[in-house]
Formats: sequence, structure tokens, C-alpha cells
Amino acid sequence: MEHIEEDNSQKKFQNWYNKNYKKLLIIPLILFILAVYNLGSSYYSTGDFLQKDITLTGGTSITILTQNEKINLDEFSEYLNGELDDFTLRELSDFGSGNQKAVILETVSELETVKPTIEEYLGYALNSENSSVESTGSSLGESFYTQLRIAILISFIFMALIVFFIFRNFVPSFAVVISAFADIIMTLALMNFLGMKLSSAGITAILMIIGYSVDSDIMLTNRLLKQHGNTDKKLKEAFKTGITMNITSIIALSVALIIIQSFSIVLQQIFTIILIGLGFDVLNTWITNVSILKWHMEEKNK
Amino acid sequence: MAHGGKKQMNWKIWLLIFFVLGSLLAIFPLDFTKGVEISSVEQNSEAFNQGLRQGMIIIQIDDTPIQSLEDYYASISKFPTEENIKLVIKTKSSNFVLFTNESPKITIEEIDTTRIKTGLDLSGGARALVKAENKDLTDNELKDLIAVSNERLNVYGLKDIQIKPVKDLGGNNFMLVEIAGSTPTELEELIGKQGKFEAKIGDEVVFEGGEKDITYVARTGEQSGIYSCDQFEGGHICNFRFAITLSESAANRHADITCNLSTNQSLPQYLEKKLDLYLDETLVDSLFIGRELKCSKTTQIQISGSGQGLTRDEAYENSVQEMNQLQTVLISGSLPFKLEIVKLDTISPLLGDEFINSILLAGISAIIAVGVVVLLRYRKLKLSLAVLLTSLSEVLIILGVSALFSRNLDLPAIAGIIAAIGTGVDSQIIILDESRITTIALKERIKRALYIIMGTYLTTLAALLPLMWAGAGLLKGFAITTIIGISTGVFITRPAFSEIVKKILKD
Repeated sequence: MEHIEEDNSQKKFQNWYNKNYKKLLIIPLILFILAVYNLGSSYYSTGDFLQKDITLTGGTSITILTQNEKINLDEFSEYLNGELDDFTLRELSDFGSGNQKAVILETVSELETVKPTIEEYLGYALNSENSSVESTGSSLGESFYTQLRIAILISFIFMALIVFFIFRNFVPSFAVVISAFADIIMTLALMNFLGMKLSSAGITAILMIIGYSVDSDIMLTNRLLKQHGNTDKKLKEAFKTGITMNITSIIALSVALIIIQSFSIVLQQIFTIILIGLGFDVLNTWITNVSILKWHMEEKNK
Repeated sequence: MAHGGKKQMNWKIWLLIFFVLGSLLAIFPLDFTKGVEISSVEQNSEAFNQGLRQGMIIIQIDDTPIQSLEDYYASISKFPTEENIKLVIKTKSSNFVLFTNESPKITIEEIDTTRIKTGLDLSGGARALVKAENKDLTDNELKDLIAVSNERLNVYGLKDIQIKPVKDLGGNNFMLVEIAGSTPTELEELIGKQGKFEAKIGDEVVFEGGEKDITYVARTGEQSGIYSCDQFEGGHICNFRFAITLSESAANRHADITCNLSTNQSLPQYLEKKLDLYLDETLVDSLFIGRELKCSKTTQIQISGSGQGLTRDEAYENSVQEMNQLQTVLISGSLPFKLEIVKLDTISPLLGDEFINSILLAGISAIIAVGVVVLLRYRKLKLSLAVLLTSLSEVLIILGVSALFSRNLDLPAIAGIIAAIGTGVDSQIIILDESRITTIALKERIKRALYIIMGTYLTTLAALLPLMWAGAGLLKGFAITTIIGISTGVFITRPAFSEIVKKILKD
């Protein structure tokens, strides 16, 4: 009895979906427009689409190991306010106990000015035993940014070429490529919205989004185009596979992120960006890509 | 037919087993030598001069076999002694004899249990990216720069250094210097300076750094060292001196120039002008020239200088450092251009171990999480275990290949491993689902799964390639481990995985 009801509701959904799947495209479309608007207005006000951290603008990052002597972040931040123009302070802590392990200061100021300022506050000298220092010249930071943008562009073009080569069919290939593109644009916009600053390592994450995004899209397109049988049934099966792929990746990355976030800012950013990307990929694979593909197949069958 | 299928299955699974075993061998060396490893040797110490170097394995001291750190410390506990005594240190490859009254100036550690090397951002060390100031380096200039820098760092006594050329997507040439372990404070001086040394009398250059003018620089023994320390303006100052030998042409120049000088009026034992030593256009020291040296083709010159510090120890230390730097540039000569350090990272080694532990914890938890999701979805413990094992063997093979090629695993590389495992799991799920579609033959289904996987493989590969060069290759580690990982997946682990799945589903 219950079983039949479930079948009924599934059928109802199927009917509703088949009638309205084109309209569903509005959701990613609106999000895409919002994302482009966000990136555009950011470009308009700051001269760049994104906020970058010091690995891409140039500047200094100092990690002060505080195992012996904890630093009060509020006091430290207040002190720095009078001394440095632009800085961010973060804390690394132990995963189990939550004890402070290190304090990270990032600033666009040069090491020569930052180091004495901090040493004066701490009352001891910074050396390679009690601190780590990373400094990037501003011209290098800018050239990194330019090159990594080119890298993403080249990656994207390579990916698109291979997708077109695999399917040799314009609309389905286009659907895969546009979904990956939407994943990236939406991810970047959400990062902007959340106030995340992109680092050079974060760019690897964006490249990974290209990879992950195309994974499920290729699977979907392959199932729908190259297999015989009822489209709806094939779609349902593909959805099961794809959503399992997405969920496993999301859960695995979330677990890793929870453990690593207190420890590594680099990995934290990489995982966070991939997670955001995977979230949007669910939307873009199962609405953007599917709807375009289904539309295309129905047009062809007419 | 069934027989053929079975044979093929064996072949693919054997291939996986072969690679996993090979990786284990690459990671864990079958070397059961007991001993302690030298982690550093103080430059210019007796131990250093006798040839002891970082990385050597001490197995015996005098007649006592050394198997642990305790053995080592026990065997040198007799120091300091009144007089110099003979100490025979036996390493895996040879014997070193020291005559000393103090314990050898080396630090030691337990022998590494694995061949996995971690990058500077995990294990600590320094990394510098150097380019020429206001000009683009040509390939040849870069080669010269690397040769000179290598010589400088070697002469200076720093070991475990890697210097390599890097080119980025914009066609710029850089020199990348990487030093493992704790960071020498003088690194910036050594690699960021042009090293232009000039000895002048008035405006005339008598000799310059480099082998053209200087044939020998004394670095040990009577002719080189700190000769006095004094209190000075609330701090301390220590003076060093060392002898150099000039080439004949430089000696002739010295004779010509000094011939034109008269005697100093207030200090009649000296000539009127001094010999001024400049390093990168800053005056390092001014030396009086003895009257008797007038017009002489002297080839022996005493170079001197000083180092200051708040305490006597600090002054001594700085003075030794200054002397070393000066000797280094006198030997290696100058570079034809000024340098600029565009990126300098010095990472403390202190958090390294904890860092690696938390990464391991994160990795293992993530793989277990994947196993749980797969178990919930497919309700078959065997399938879940197959996914777990496949992912673990991918990690092992990536680590094994990295160990085999002595690739340092840095943070981007570790992120790359995780990314590779992630796409690996995706592909395994595709295989699982494709094999469960019952309308077509199993073989056909798996073939199709592999087709999809090949497609995703090529796209990911293409996406990663630009990263090999972008950003001066600093993110290369990510690209390399991911590429190793996904290639392993496509060619080794996944074919085996699909065989295993076939077997499980048939049962």
C-alpha cells in the first residue's frame, strides 16, 4: 500500500519534472546573473574581480609559534591597528584541545617594517625557531596572479576541447562546458560574498573544480547519449550515480576540512573552495546540464 | 572463454599488487643498518674538515658500535678532555679520524624510517626566488648565477641546498634556492647580493674578488680567524683577519699604485692612503699600508674586518659570519648584475610533525567517510572494502612514486593527493554503478565505464598541465601528485578494481 503511494508520488514528480524542466533552468540562470553581477561590481569598485591575499598581491605573512606564550588576539590586533595599515590576524589551534598553537599575521607591508613592530609587542626577537615568515614581492605577486589566471583559462580551453572531442556533438558538449563555467563563476562569486581572499594555492582548487565538475557531467552525458533505452530511466540512474559521487566527495572533503582547518590555512582554503564548487556542481549538473541535454534530445526526437 | 576471463582478472589484480608492493619497497627501504644519522655539521669545525657531512650514518665510534642516540652520547661523554685525543668515527662507507678535545660539532638524529621526503613548508627550511634587478635574465646569465650561488653556498659551508632554474609562463627566468632544516640567518646576504668586492687605494682599484685577481684565500689555521674582542660603545666588537694571495697582475697594480704614494705624516710607518675594501659599494674596512710595501709587488695581503654585538658571544658570532661572507665573495667573485629576492619564505621546523600527523588523520578519516557512504549506498561490506583498499593503494602508489623519484611532498602536493583520491572515488562509483546495470553484458558495461573514466582522466590531466609552469612552478607539486594519482587510477587501480567488483558481484 505504502509502496504504491511512493510509486505514485514518484510518478507525479516525474510528470511535473518533464513538464517543467526547462523552467528549472531559471534557477541557475538567476544565480549566474547574480554571480556575474557580484564579480562585476567588485571589479568596478576595486579594479579586480576578486579579493586576493598576499600570495597574489605581495606582502608578508608571519606565523608566530605560541606554544610557550599565548598571544591575546584582541590586544595584539589593537596594538597593530596603530602600526600597520592593512592586516589580518588568524589563529591556529590544536584539533583536539583547541589550544592556541600559532598566530598568523598577514599584511601588505614589507617584512622590514612588520618584524620590528611585532618584536616590540612580543618583547622577544623572531627567528626561524619561533616563527615562520613568507614574503612575496608585489611585482611577483601580480605576475603570479596573471599567470595563474592564464593557467585557469588554458585549463578550461583544454578541457572544453577534450569534451568536444569525446562527444563530437555540439549541444551536449556545450552543456558540459557551460556547467563547468557556471560552477567556477558561482564559486568565485560566493567566495567574494563571504569575504574570502583568494591565495595562489586556492587557484589549484579552482582547477580541481574543473576536474570534479566535468566528472559527473561526462558520466551523465555518456549515459544519456550513448546508451539505449528510456531517457527518464537513464536519467534517474545517472542521477543516482552522480549524486553518490557528489555526496562522497562532499562528505570526505568536509571531514578532512574539519580536521585540517585549525592547522593549515593553505589546505583549509583549498578544501573550502572545492566544497563550494561541489555544491554548485550539484545544481549545475542536475539542472543546467540535464535540462539542456534533455531539451536537446527531445528536439532531436521530434 | 571463462578461462580467458579468469586469466585476465589475475593479470590486472597482479599488476596492482605488484605496484603496491613496489611502492612499499620504495617507501620503506630494506636497509637494516643500525646507527645514527648526522643531521648537521658545523662549518669549519674539525668534524667538517675531516669530511663528515650531513646524511652520513655513524655506525661505530672507536670500538663501540653505535645503534641509538644513547650509544652516541655515551661514546662522546668523555669530552671535553684536557688534551686532544684521537676519535675514530666509522660511517657506513668510510672511517674518519678526528683529533680533538671536545665533542664533534655535529648534531645527530635517528635514521629515517621512510624515504618519503616532506617539503620545506612542512619540515621547515628556507626558500628564495631570486631574479636580476631591473632586467630579464637570459638562460646563460641564469646558468652563471646558479653556478656562482652554488659556489658561494658551498664555500660558505651550507649543505643540503638545491638551486635550480625556474621559468614561468611569462617567460621570466628565476633562480630557486631551497635549503632544508633550520634557516641560516645570512641566507639573504649570500644569495641576494651581487658580491662585488673591490680593494681600492683612493679611486684606483687594486684588486677585485674572484680568481682573476685572487689566487688563494686562507680559511683555516694560523692565517685566518678572530684575533681580538673588545668592549665598544656599550657593546662588543670582534676583529677578524685572513690572508689572501694576489695574482701577479694584481700584485703589479699594487706596486704601481703604491709607488705614487708618499708617507703618512702623523703615522710615519704607514703610507698616506689606505687600502679601502668595498663590498657591493659599501666600505667594509680600511687598512693601513706599511711603508715597506711601497712599490712592492706584494702577493700576500692581510684582509681584516670586524663584527659587533651586544654581548661578546654575539660579536664573536657576527664576526665569524662576516669573515665567512667576505671569504666567500673573494673566492666566488662578483655577478655582473644586481639581484633581487622576490620571494623569501623561512618556515620553522617546529610544527612539522604535528602537521603531518593531522594531515594523516584528515586523510584516513576522509577515506573512512567514503567507505561509510559507499556502504550505506550499496549495502555490501565487500564493495565498501574494495573502495577503501583501492583508495589506499592509490595513496601508497603516489607516495611510492614520490619516494622513488625523491620528490619532496609539500602542502600543494598533499592537496594534490587528496584531490586525486577524490576523483578516484568518483570513478570507482561510476564503475560500481555501470556494473550494476543489468540490461547489457557485464564486460560491455565495464568497458563503457572505462570509456567515461578515460574521458574524465583526459580532462583533468589537461586542466592540470598549465600548473606545471604557472607561478614559477611553486604549485607544481599539486599538479604532479594529482597527475601521478589519476594516472595510477586509470591504468592500475581502477582496472583491478573493476575486476574485483566483477568477482564480488558474481558471488
